[in-house]
Amino acid sequence: MGNLAQLVILGLLAGGVYVAVGVGFGLVWGVLNIVNLSHGALVIVGGYLTWQLFTAFHIDPFLTLPIDAIFLFAVGYAVQRGVINRVIRAPLLFTFLLTFGLNLIVINVLLLLFKSDFRSVTPSYSGAGIELGPVVIPYTRLAALAVALALAGGLAFILNRTRTGLAIQAVGADRDAAQLVGIDLRHTYALTFGIGAACAGVAGGLISLIQAITPTAGEPYTLQAFVVVILGGLGRVSATVLGGLLFGLIEVFAQSLPGSGSVYANAIAFGLLVLVLVVRPQGLIGRLK
Amino acid sequence: MSFSSLPDASGKRWRRIFLYIGAAVLLYALLAPLTSLEAAQGAGVPLLTDKLWFRIATIIAMFVVMASAWNIMGGLTGYSAFGNVAFFGIGAYTCAMLVSRAHWPLFLAIAVAPVTAAIFASLIGVPLLRLRGHYFAVASLGVSVAVGEIVQNLEIGAKPVFGGATGLFLPIFRFDNRDLLFFYLMVAAAALTVGITWWVLRSRFGYGLIAIRENEEAAAVMGVNTTAYKVAAFALSAALTGLAGGIFAQWNVFINQENVFPIEYNVQMILMALVGGAGTLFGPVAGAIVLQVLIQFLSGSLPISADIPFVPPDARPVVAQVILGLLLVVTVVFVPRGVIDFFGGQSRLSLAYLKRSLRETSV
Repeated sequence: MGNLAQLVILGLLAGGVYVAVGVGFGLVWGVLNIVNLSHGALVIVGGYLTWQLFTAFHIDPFLTLPIDAIFLFAVGYAVQRGVINRVIRAPLLFTFLLTFGLNLIVINVLLLLFKSDFRSVTPSYSGAGIELGPVVIPYTRLAALAVALALAGGLAFILNRTRTGLAIQAVGADRDAAQLVGIDLRHTYALTFGIGAACAGVAGGLISLIQAITPTAGEPYTLQAFVVVILGGLGRVSATVLGGLLFGLIEVFAQSLPGSGSVYANAIAFGLLVLVLVVRPQGLIGRLK
Repeated sequence: MSFSSLPDASGKRWRRIFLYIGAAVLLYALLAPLTSLEAAQGAGVPLLTDKLWFRIATIIAMFVVMASAWNIMGGLTGYSAFGNVAFFGIGAYTCAMLVSRAHWPLFLAIAVAPVTAAIFASLIGVPLLRLRGHYFAVASLGVSVAVGEIVQNLEIGAKPVFGGATGLFLPIFRFDNRDLLFFYLMVAAAALTVGITWWVLRSRFGYGLIAIRENEEAAAVMGVNTTAYKVAAFALSAALTGLAGGIFAQWNVFINQENVFPIEYNVQMILMALVGGAGTLFGPVAGAIVLQVLIQFLSGSLPISADIPFVPPDARPVVAQVILGLLLVVTVVFVPRGVIDFFGGQSRLSLAYLKRSLRETSV
């Protein structure tokens, strides 16, 4: 029983990261109908920014998170306004390829800037944690889960309680009707992508505390964000939170099964994905689009 | 301005000149290898090829197969398959297992590769093809990642079933003119793929697929058995991709998860088809040739490669990727209908055309 509780806690902690990575991805997908293949790369940009600020200026990694968010918001806003807005009406394959191109650019620019060395952010308290049976739960991971949930809460607040958020939702629901009632499409699209990128930046900052990062470390996160969003369902922040935590739990439990190990991490994720897509395409609590 | 979609006389002439040049280059590429034959060498014909040339030409032919095969599913049927590399890998592993473990003869093993790929595609196609749009794209991507991982890691009684992470080494068959043989084998596969696409485009089957692409519900109402058609198209696309995989395995002699399940092939074949013009017969062929030459040039493996200014040689592969990414972005933003429009007589690649295509897709 102790073992079970341990797995649940580990699963929820792993899920925290997936929540952080998933919310931005889900927002962009739900509103812009773009599957953003560069999401993982943007996450890692956030990670490098935190690493850079921490190593060069000794700023506490948690304090760098707002800087990550602001920087990536600006990048995301500019990219959407300058590039993606121009193909938003094209068939979905085009935005797929476009974001893959962006992914390629971001990763390789990071490679030029930072080389492929492993970088990790290790503040003085990174070793400390709560002892839970044989394992130690680092405070940083607990804090990461808390930040991820706060991020999701903040996003839900913006979307449901502010004029801007309602405009974003309106655009997602019906582009032409939203334009008719006077919403500036270009600006709202850019805002949405910017907010999605900002979430990615925060997620990246958290990830740099948890694992060593390289320019390509974000690739798995793009794929996992897919799974998380589909698992929970599109169109709601709470669904992504549920999907992320559940995905963390499933991952931890699957890896604890004898004989499976972490080598099948992707196969498990995608097996689950295909299963959910076929059996319940709207996700667990998503809204059908 | 408004008549820019009508080809004028000078546009027509340029197009014809381009086509002639293209045909001449293609003919040269197909015949030059023959100069490596001993008979030709004995007769004093100058040698027009070398090892590197064969390598690049064979890879180009391989991508012609993959882009054209993808076109049947992605271009004609309108289902954005994002995981076709799974079939390439399955074909390669089928062939490798049969030759190295079961000691089958080479050509029989190559012939079986497309069959296993097609069977696999039919099996996963039934559930997967119920999905559409992003969902199908993501699910097929997931399948290709998962298959690669399983092939690499599957063990029975602590013994890797498919050679594990080390991969599989195939027995080397001693042929005279080995490079020549595999080059023509891959070209034959490319010709077969184009031939099949040609047949599909003018068959009842093909019209059914196009009907599905344009409006699936309407196609079903008109009496097209959409599920059967989609699965058949998926299996056909898989079979041809698997054939390329099978030939690749024999040609390369060594295969592992990394060289036959690379995720970037998924994107490259789609990009080739799109750049050339998805849904057309020769679009994916042109796209594959142009893009593959470009990829090889950027990564510095062509003998004619010039230095990229301001870039130190060791950073070159990385910069090449950045350029490829920029190219991808520019292509998608400015030429959504593919450069084949230029040659296909539908439109001129003019400023007005670019403006119009931008206006159609942007907000």
